[in-house]
Amino acid sequence: MTAHFYLDGREIPFQPGQNVLEALLAMGRDRDVPYFCYHPALGSLGACRQCAVKLYPHDDKHPPRVMMACLLPASAGLQLVTAESDVRREHAAISELLMRNHPHDCPICDEGGQCHLQDMTVRAGHRLRHYENAKRTFRSQQLGPLIRQEMNRCITCYRCVRFYQDIAGGEDFGVFGSRDRVFFGRLHDGPLESPFAGNLAEVCPTGVFTDKVYHASYLRPWDLETAASICPHCNLGCNTAPGAARGRLRRVRQRHHPDINPYFLCDRGRYGFRHVVHRRRPWRHRLRSREIERDEALDRLTDLLRQGETGFLGSPRADVQDNLAWLALADAYGAPFAAFSDPWQEALAREILALPQAPSLRQLGEAERILILGQALEISPSLRLPVQAALRRGAQLTLASVLPTALDRYGELRRLRPDGYVDAAGDWCRALPSGKRGVILASADALGPAGVHVLRRLQEDLPPGTGVVVAHRAPNLGGAAFFATDGQSQRLREAIRVGRCRHLLALAADPLGEDGDAPFWRQRSSALRISLLDCLPTTTLEAAELQLPMAAVAEREGVFLNYEGRFQAFARVYRPAQYHPHWDPSRSTFPLPAGGMREELALWEPRDLAEALAQRGGRLESFHQRLEFYRHYLCPELPGPGDPGSFIPDALRARFRIGIVPVPHSGTGRWWLSAFHWYGDEAQARFAGELQSLAPVAGVRLAPGQTQAQAMLLTSRDGQTRRYPIVEVAGMAADVLALPPSDLSDLGYHPGERIDALEESAP
Amino acid sequence: MSSPTSIADRLPSSVRTEIEAHLRQAPQREAAISDVLRLLQQALGYIDDDTLLYAAQQTGMPPVKVEELCSFYPLVLRRPAGRHLLRICDSVSCHLAGADSLLRQAEEISGVTLGQVAKEGSYSILPHVCLGLCDRAPAALVDGHAVGGFDGDALVALLASWEHR
Repeated sequence: MTAHFYLDGREIPFQPGQNVLEALLAMGRDRDVPYFCYHPALGSLGACRQCAVKLYPHDDKHPPRVMMACLLPASAGLQLVTAESDVRREHAAISELLMRNHPHDCPICDEGGQCHLQDMTVRAGHRLRHYENAKRTFRSQQLGPLIRQEMNRCITCYRCVRFYQDIAGGEDFGVFGSRDRVFFGRLHDGPLESPFAGNLAEVCPTGVFTDKVYHASYLRPWDLETAASICPHCNLGCNTAPGAARGRLRRVRQRHHPDINPYFLCDRGRYGFRHVVHRRRPWRHRLRSREIERDEALDRLTDLLRQGETGFLGSPRADVQDNLAWLALADAYGAPFAAFSDPWQEALAREILALPQAPSLRQLGEAERILILGQALEISPSLRLPVQAALRRGAQLTLASVLPTALDRYGELRRLRPDGYVDAAGDWCRALPSGKRGVILASADALGPAGVHVLRRLQEDLPPGTGVVVAHRAPNLGGAAFFATDGQSQRLREAIRVGRCRHLLALAADPLGEDGDAPFWRQRSSALRISLLDCLPTTTLEAAELQLPMAAVAEREGVFLNYEGRFQAFARVYRPAQYHPHWDPSRSTFPLPAGGMREELALWEPRDLAEALAQRGGRLESFHQRLEFYRHYLCPELPGPGDPGSFIPDALRARFRIGIVPVPHSGTGRWWLSAFHWYGDEAQARFAGELQSLAPVAGVRLAPGQTQAQAMLLTSRDGQTRRYPIVEVAGMAADVLALPPSDLSDLGYHPGERIDALEESAP
Repeated sequence: MSSPTSIADRLPSSVRTEIEAHLRQAPQREAAISDVLRLLQQALGYIDDDTLLYAAQQTGMPPVKVEELCSFYPLVLRRPAGRHLLRICDSVSCHLAGADSLLRQAEEISGVTLGQVAKEGSYSILPHVCLGLCDRAPAALVDGHAVGGFDGDALVALLASWEHR
């Protein structure tokens, strides 16, 4: 039987360790007691004095007294009252005090419609203002392109600073002053540095911190359509709730998932969505940059498919079912299919899928020993929150990396060259005390296929409870790895090399750009015609003969397989539309009274395109057969949008543990190559303008004092020379050049390989 | 603008030694921050941005954390002050005993707003949080010495003596 306490005579059940407010909120009874400073992730503070309840003690010695529900541990039989006039008066009086300095700018405040202060003020019963003096005012700060500050609205609940410093470990935001001059901000104006800054807009119970990106296309939250979605910017699979209206995506907020992202979202996840409105995004079908109709594009593709010289390329950026549809279409035409254009990436994905099921982020927060290999926290920023939580609980952290990381001062450091990761992992595993829950967080790039393979071998000897999390930037890496069993990528490339494939039908892939090995594809681009279905203006899109416009994640349905091997479905949030300033009777019979003419944009969902092509080619039946077969084999039960997700069975995972052991090739050269990651860098987020305005300077990063040169000249695998300005990074390992993954792909090198460089001195 | 290292150059070596002694004795370097700030203010007059960064560097704290302390404690000065410093308590008891008019009067005599340096560097006047002298309100700190029953006449006399010195 569960324990109860009583509120206004009603039984309220609670879990041991909960306080009264938590128990009420857990029951959905958030109407009984107003509150501000309490937040489930931040805990109780008692700063706002709003959640008063009256306690009737069970003895004769103590009189009844008013207490804060958030600071009162729930205990059995507790008698609490809110319905009495002194409690009501307290609620209203505190509300009036909180409103004393609050400006009446609600009509122009972005918080309107989601304002906790507004809701609570109405609920607490504050109606008339008694204070007649001037309100205190502040000069707000410019906090960069993502967050807007309007400090006069502050009610001093301290949620922002508790989140920013305690939860996210940020060091450039704090609380200054005392008395009624308490200011929350930075030392000076300037962009917030934390990759979690966007959460300020969500934790702030009023409009002090609001979403600046949302502001640019603002509509009241109640006007937004939303649906359960999954973040497409890395392989963690954080749950999101995008908001769109009138054919436009306007914001992304986090959506609660107890095991992945209970309350927060990183800025890549929150602001990366702006790629959907990039000015060069493909909206129409284009043949050699000439706009064509949908039917013409389909006819053309069907002709090309009939010629039997097509190769199919999927992508870890496209979801499970889209890749399946591509595979089924390829099968129906007897053509080769690969989900990766680079065999190195394919082997990496396969090795990651072969790992045992990774711990959830919640379990990561309970780890006692953590090893971070490479820049895992820059690849998947949301890994940092559970790591910080574990550190607060006393976990011991070891950091092994080429570059300095944000958590360096919290752990034992091991600076190493790219060939040192495997040894560092081995040493850590051997030193892991028995009975301790250990977790390894690894950057996929840093380890490479061979490194991940060794990690799997190491993990076999470790006690149960030890887990490996491999961070990668592709949202559906696991799903694409389904098709990475026995060298498809190599076979597709072979077919292109020998001229058996002269046409590539690619899905959300960027082989000529950042998919891992651009030189191979560049060398063949003159003989290979590319048709590309994508929503990003990538290098490959520029070079593609036929461009097909694709729906972005919030514009279609699908399923991603995240790092744990968890299938999570996302729903369509909106259909993108264009507004014409004038009514054009040839487009529509009805003018919209809103002052414009709405035209829905016809974007492809990859499955529909595959089906349409199968139909035109007369292969619909075999297409459906193949699709059903693969779907049944690989993912018989898929969750719906909003479900917590379902895991791939271990038996299926075991099938990917095939005999090929990847061998590391480092080659020769003066320098070791490493990837340099920044939290906003990812294929889609790269086209999100606001986020990219915060990008660090471009160039090649190396340790100070290694060269007198101003720039480095590196030669790609196909003989093209690229110039990179030198950026010295204090505390970086010597003899290493670190480049963004897109530059490495452009050169055709992988992290951990060696290269020679020409040094360009100052003129 | 000077760099944090040049602050060290400006500091007398005795102050540097004392700061280092505090940092050594503290269980964690951060714990020495209030002593470090006090010594720096004694030596340099007030904590400017460079001095703040120097204190942050010495204690291993992020500069924001140091500013949080500086802005919370009214005894830490973040702006230049005059040769003499008068802090008039404006908390509840002193407010009821007329601190408000004392502060207005002080502004009139000095000719500058509170917190500014008056009369060519002679003195500065600051409002202050409760000094704990409620029984002797209105209270003030005159160059660090607590004074009770601080009225308008005392204010006039004090400022006049500071101006002429």
